Amino acid sequence: MDIIYLDNNATTRVAPEVVEAMMPFLTEAYFNPSSMYEASRGPADAIAAARRTVAKLLGNARATEILFTSCATESNNTAVYGTIAARPERRHIVTSAVEHPAIYEVAKDLARRGFEVDFVPVDTQGRIDKGAFVRALRPETLLVSVMHANNETGVVYPIAELSRIAKETDPSIVFHTDATQTVGKLPIDLRGSFQHVDLLSFSGHKLHAPKGIGALFIRRGTPCRPFLLGGHQEDGRRGGTENVAFIVGLARALELAAGRHDADEPRIRAQRDRLQSELVARIPYLEVNGGEAERLTNTLNIACHFIEGEGILYQLSEHGICASAGSACTSGSLEPSHVLRAMKVPFTAVHGSVRFSLSHYTTDAEIDRVIEVFPEIVASLRRLSPYWDAAKNVPRPEALAMLSETEMPQAR
Amino acid sequence: MTWNYSKKTTELFMAAVQGKPGSHLGEIEEPDGFGEHGSIACGDALRFTFKVDRHPTDPKQDRITEARYLTFGCTSAIAASEALCAIIEEGDFTPIQALEITNSDIVDYLEGLPQAKIHCSVMGAEALEAAVFNWAQKRGVDLADLGIDIRRDEQEEGRLVCTCFGLTEPYIERKIRELQLRTIPEITNAIKAGGACMSCHHTPGGLQDILTKVWGEQPTAFKELPVLPMARQPKAQPPREMSPFKFAKLVEHVLEEKVRPQLARDGGDIELVDIKDNVVYCSMKGACADCIGSTRTLKMMVEQALKDHVDERIRVVEV
Repeated sequence: MDIIYLDNNATTRVAPEVVEAMMPFLTEAYFNPSSMYEASRGPADAIAAARRTVAKLLGNARATEILFTSCATESNNTAVYGTIAARPERRHIVTSAVEHPAIYEVAKDLARRGFEVDFVPVDTQGRIDKGAFVRALRPETLLVSVMHANNETGVVYPIAELSRIAKETDPSIVFHTDATQTVGKLPIDLRGSFQHVDLLSFSGHKLHAPKGIGALFIRRGTPCRPFLLGGHQEDGRRGGTENVAFIVGLARALELAAGRHDADEPRIRAQRDRLQSELVARIPYLEVNGGEAERLTNTLNIACHFIEGEGILYQLSEHGICASAGSACTSGSLEPSHVLRAMKVPFTAVHGSVRFSLSHYTTDAEIDRVIEVFPEIVASLRRLSPYWDAAKNVPRPEALAMLSETEMPQAR
Repeated sequence: MTWNYSKKTTELFMAAVQGKPGSHLGEIEEPDGFGEHGSIACGDALRFTFKVDRHPTDPKQDRITEARYLTFGCTSAIAASEALCAIIEEGDFTPIQALEITNSDIVDYLEGLPQAKIHCSVMGAEALEAAVFNWAQKRGVDLADLGIDIRRDEQEEGRLVCTCFGLTEPYIERKIRELQLRTIPEITNAIKAGGACMSCHHTPGGLQDILTKVWGEQPTAFKELPVLPMARQPKAQPPREMSPFKFAKLVEHVLEEKVRPQLARDGGDIELVDIKDNVVYCSMKGACADCIGSTRTLKMMVEQALKDHVDERIRVVEV
């Protein structure tokens, strides 16, 4: 069975062009770029070129402002712990309620260690509450970290505006954004609209480079201490022998994304919009999470009332379709996604959420296939559901009454 | 994490969703026994019904002839419900005999369940128990008389330990004994307690304390995370002549009297979002919101008005 891969916010297929660019450094050009002999020049030059490429494609940043890491999680940890180490006198952090765990868990850890952390809430469409953001800023605020786009819903946050507000409040507030879901998908201009962003994280494997490579933009002059101590690599800002092939692959993937953006964007948007409108038309009691907010064009997060997401994923998988869910049963925790709960997705639907995320490689035929099989999958699980009247194909009256309740019924 | 279900589990699940003959999907009208466990908010819920062949004289000799379920939950919750109904129908049990079925019988029938999914089998056993209690009530059988603990007051009387899943101390304690649970992860896997916010793990009277109460002191490697003292800095603020309240009132007054009328002429409006020290956060509304010159308008006009009439040090930030 052919795989229909619609989980590109989790990871992406490695582009053949990227593999090709990497191959020399996995074979004959294996030398340590820090060594002195002539043979090391190839790898060292390749890293320098990759750094220039990445910097240029993020809006003409300086090459020295790009730090290569192992993944976006490392970039995020470096940004947060590095800033804290550089500015011990400030103890207050502002972030959002819908961050990826690579920021969310770090922020919770800091709260346990005695830092004051504000998690700015979002509305039911996942949009940040700007008034609450402003009210959270304080004279002792050290760091603001808000993601550029949410991995689960694709909702895009107004980073240009939030960073400007933070800097106009106090220029010494450090502003970080986790742009893992947007680099390669949305234009990023660190000299223009993102001029107030000090730190920006992303990884390669969301844009058709391999797993195991990430980057952190550190604007010149930003107080940020190294996170991984060791050798003098990366100008002493991150120890560890450079991952030459993967660094080259990351730069190549960014080039590809930049070159393809104008053609890909409208096509992927049309595919996503068609998937959304067809599913909404065919399936009753379906919510589009973040549907009214500005969203990444490749992401569709839907919530099916009265069923549980794992059974949906299992049946999709039987059809060779790869997608993700936000329910407890798929997360390793028993709690549904903190993102959907922050958006107050009704509890009748929060366990039945499914995310489809498209890419350059998604075809119209694959979208057709999902439209064909998904409604029956939902129907099959509703026939089993104690909240659904299978005979009339509507929710039972008592379940219908729950629809307006967003809070969990127990004391929390 | 990918699925590591047994073949039996996935077969039962697929048979149920495809409505294959022999599956036990559904609900018996006017059942002799009715039991529920879980809730939609908790992520899984099971409604279990059965029918009996009524004994003419002795209800205790009723035999269960048919069992049905409706389940909201994951693959294994649905498969466990199928397993429960199949075990009961194959066994030709009286309801009282059916009480002997435990969650491990369901796990065995499924040829194993992943650790994190054990609670799906417990849910089946719980719903069955509730249904048998319901049958006993309907048929006038006094289970307590037969030496069966019906624990009527458990949920009402007990102290709530796991607030996320609404589980009480007596219930958790009984399950720890019944299911031989030795660690917090085992408790969570079996009955979900402590599986969400986790705040009940090590609080006084929490899961660890209940484990200790049941099994005695166990060697544990757990250590509390260090809580570092707050480094609070007294903030030296240049004194302002008026109180923050008066300052805010004056800012509002100036916006109302001097700024709004000017903006209104162009169909616009301004909203005061917040004030921090000398920084005034405003948001443009109406025609001004989309105006390219709005930042400039604010900076020039609003800030100047506030500087002139309130305080020279005021800065305006557009939100």
